[in-house]
Amino acid sequence: MNREEIISTTKRFLSEEFEVEESTILPKNNLQKTLDLDSLDYVDLVVVIEENLGFKPTADDFKSIDSFDDFYTLVEKRLA
Amino acid sequence: MLIEKENITRFIPQRDPFVMIDNLIAADEKGFESTFEVNSENLFLENDVLSESALVENIAQTCAAGFGYVNSLKGEGEGQLGFIGAVSRLTVDSLPLNGANISTKIEILNTFDNIHLIQGSAYSNEEKLIECQMKIVIA
Repeated sequence: MNREEIISTTKRFLSEEFEVEESTILPKNNLQKTLDLDSLDYVDLVVVIEENLGFKPTADDFKSIDSFDDFYTLVEKRLA
Repeated sequence: MLIEKENITRFIPQRDPFVMIDNLIAADEKGFESTFEVNSENLFLENDVLSESALVENIAQTCAAGFGYVNSLKGEGEGQLGFIGAVSRLTVDSLPLNGANISTKIEILNTFDNIHLIQGSAYSNEEKLIECQMKIVIA
């Protein structure tokens, strides 16, 4: 999956799971604020990532994620 | 039988009259099973019918006992404090009567850090009473 495919795939399932408009999911936007995640929501995020991308991110993975760009980079690395 | 009624409060923080689980009969990394008999002294009985909130508590306490038991096997102590972070996808099919025997099954769907997403179901005479998902936070 290349970066463009990662962006379109993750936009689809993140907007559906967290009920936000796809148009708000922009590379430079903050992931936590855009998806309105509290600490409990991270387990839902892990579930949809595992279901849709086939890998399970760790708590450490999220420490380095600020923007969606960071998230796409993580996905690229984990799927490589 | 992994934990009998006499010892269950070693693994859960609740005390009578709020204990809604008798025995832990199975527990591993994938899930837990418990049993509970509804008796006439149960606080959550109204007109001989147990309330759904007692069943939700039964699912949560099965989780507490299960996580406590599994962690005790790892040498991480007993009775870790656990909190219900969220309840979702709750469906109530029927409510048990005084004297009913309840069998509760927990499947651990996912774990992130100290938060567990579980699917819980409670049955009486193999009839499903309630099911829900919960986020259990272990302190």
